[in-house]
Amino acid sequence: MKTRTFMILVILMAASITLTGMGVSLVTAQVTEIKAPYIQEALPLNPKDPLWGEVELTQVPLVAQLLAYPMSLDTTPRSLKFAIVHNGTHMAFYIEWDDQTMDVEGGGELNKFSDAVAIQFPVQEGELPYICMGDTANPVNIVMWKAGIGAENLVAGSAYGRDAKEREALGLQQVPTSPIEMLPEDAQIWKSQAVYEDGKWRVVLIRPTGSTHPLVPDLRPGDSTSIAFARWEGSKYERGGAKSTSGWYTVKLEQIAVEAVETVTQTQTVTTTQTTTETVTQTQTQVTTETVTVTETTPAVTGAVKGALVGLVIALIAAILALALLYRRGMRPS
Amino acid sequence: MVRAQISMVMVLDKCIGCHTCSLTCKHVWTNREGQEYAWWNNVETRPGVGYPKRWEDQEKYGGGWVLENGKLRLRLEAMGKRDPPSIKDYYQPFEYNYEELFTEEIRDQQPAANPINMYTGEEMDVKWGPNWDDDLAGANIYAGMDPNWRILEKEIYLNFKDVFMFYLPRICNHCLNPSCLYACPRKSIYKREEDGVVLIDQTRCRGYRYCVTACPYKKVYYNWKTGKSEKCILCYPRLETGQATVCTVSCVGKIRYMGVVLYDEERVIEAASAPENELVKAQRDLILDPFDPDVIRQAKADGIPENFIKAAQESPVYYMFKRWEIALPLHPEFRTLPMVFYVPPLNPVITALDRRGKYNAAYENIIPTIDELRIPIKYLASMFSAGNEEEVRKALKKLVAIREFFRLVNVEGMSKTEASRVLSEHGLSVRDADLMYKWLALGRDRWTIPTRKVELRMKIPKRASR
Ligand code: SF4
Ligand code: SF4
Repeated sequence: MKTRTFMILVILMAASITLTGMGVSLVTAQVTEIKAPYIQEALPLNPKDPLWGEVELTQVPLVAQLLAYPMSLDTTPRSLKFAIVHNGTHMAFYIEWDDQTMDVEGGGELNKFSDAVAIQFPVQEGELPYICMGDTANPVNIVMWKAGIGAENLVAGSAYGRDAKEREALGLQQVPTSPIEMLPEDAQIWKSQAVYEDGKWRVVLIRPTGSTHPLVPDLRPGDSTSIAFARWEGSKYERGGAKSTSGWYTVKLEQIAVEAVETVTQTQTVTTTQTTTETVTQTQTQVTTETVTVTETTPAVTGAVKGALVGLVIALIAAILALALLYRRGMRPS
Repeated sequence: MVRAQISMVMVLDKCIGCHTCSLTCKHVWTNREGQEYAWWNNVETRPGVGYPKRWEDQEKYGGGWVLENGKLRLRLEAMGKRDPPSIKDYYQPFEYNYEELFTEEIRDQQPAANPINMYTGEEMDVKWGPNWDDDLAGANIYAGMDPNWRILEKEIYLNFKDVFMFYLPRICNHCLNPSCLYACPRKSIYKREEDGVVLIDQTRCRGYRYCVTACPYKKVYYNWKTGKSEKCILCYPRLETGQATVCTVSCVGKIRYMGVVLYDEERVIEAASAPENELVKAQRDLILDPFDPDVIRQAKADGIPENFIKAAQESPVYYMFKRWEIALPLHPEFRTLPMVFYVPPLNPVITALDRRGKYNAAYENIIPTIDELRIPIKYLASMFSAGNEEEVRKALKKLVAIREFFRLVNVEGMSKTEASRVLSEHGLSVRDADLMYKWLALGRDRWTIPTRKVELRMKIPKRASR
């Protein structure tokens, strides 16, 4: 493939993914601001605790990562369900998903990859970071849970923008080793516990609401933040970039109020998006020109526009898929 | 851009299959948990399946590069191959329960130490190992599984065991176009600028194992304990102090030669993309003449230290691969431009008992003509020249010429000048013959390793807390 054609493709893809990202986040932001209810008790780390049977779960559609090497080979749509609660001092994520096989690496096995899940947060307030793990100006904090290994608190995107002194002060290696870096010991604030039963993973992740590290967002009662998910299936040899990911979601930690445990009810739109992803694999239309309309209409999302928007998102994702396929055929990674 | 590479030649006729190289390497580098199954250096018997089992079969393992419309592409991408080999492709590591030798009750038989699984400590039945088909053991089963037979006629392969065998010691080739490096999405693998050693940065690696699949020689080993991949480091801490690798120094057969070669970095991709039967030539063309004043000037301009240039002029690798063309790369068709070279075996025992039980020397001369050697040229060409038989023939002819030369001098009493006609036919001089004699026969001065330039010493980054 000629370099120019390739560059155009890259630009188109970048543009469309940004728009899709914005589109998705705007839709969900408008319709489903997911509430993290306040509960007046210690948060249970055990995924089998009755509390996790009572919380309202939000379903999150996930699509295969097809932009960068190494891409996911399995493009069938996936999903996960999650809930978030807090008790003033700590917040907890409960995440569950179906997976036919339990995959845990280690123990002398060489071709096993762990099932895993990750949640991504913006480090700074304001404009949302680039959905694919942030960038230098706008990094993301990621908690990654891996079967058999547990939770690791990571930072992505910030690696190359800081000088050695600044990096050292942040507890990072002076010379960045990768765009995704392990945060220092004092930032490893997540606790995790997981259960695999009846073809289903259930994972609880808990961290204090307050942060101890500048690259980990401080999330207090009353605060809102955005989150995005990624999930890996070990049985499909997924690791690193071979994964499926979601768009941004907004969550709000409820103010502490006595006897006020609200539940989340807004799951309807999410289901719509689920249908969206399923249609994606069949749709082949390319509507790159229409993307302009998306940016213009999204700020005022009304019921009628919403339908059109969802249609556009479908078309966009289809375009990305088609382009990514082209890209995959012709390129050598370097 | 001129670059320097420290590389190796192995002279296969001299390998006695003693595995000292593998054991010394293991004791120095991989004698630890997570790397039990890993042999950065291993020695295979050919014909045979090798380690891991049938590693040369890229349809199964997905290593190396493929040429698609003139462009190089990782085979794992072209195939959509994601899974690295399993422990079964290598072998289940085992130990022996030596305790039993001391604790067993006194009986009529000698006490025996039974094999135990190194991971579980349980007794196990050993059914496969890293060198299961050593010395053609079980050859009826395993030798036929050798992927290099594909291009041979059936009858040759059925008769093979009456015909030949040889050993093939293997390490990482520290390739010029390493597919392991390009396959790593985290860019954890790098090729050292100063000597071309290919290393995995253990602080960057997250154990994705794309490199394990991508290396066509299966010379990256995943450490299941640390969750990171590891590979042969060409004993770089030894190189830096002017010492050869452990496998080279400990080699009983003195088959290993090490030295610097200078090459043209800009033409690497071009050479790796050459048509199959020209791959060896293309790789040779990359290697520069260290005596050429222009090359020396450019090398200096490109920051290559004086001692590296001097070492390149004394390098057995330069002579054997480039100048004399007696050494060949292993499976150049994988297109990684491997920088460990092999002088193919002559295996020239030419007499065989005929039907009447008499020795039958089929040649008027004691030195055989190379097409009548015991090892099929085709088999060697499949292994060392992507099927180009001429390359193998050329190498073997020169080896035969040297033997002929010294026979004429030492047995027939000819003067060197007189005998040198057998050399000149193959473009060799008496000086070449003397050098070859010193290196190949006497095994002297087998390596020249330049110590590392102080200015190039890297600052070791502080480890992140984990
Ligand atoms: S032999 Fe394999 S591991 Fe070594 S440099 Fe070549 S591709 Fe990489
Ligand atoms: S030590 Fe030398 S002679 Fe012995 S097996 Fe290894 S390469 Fe061959």
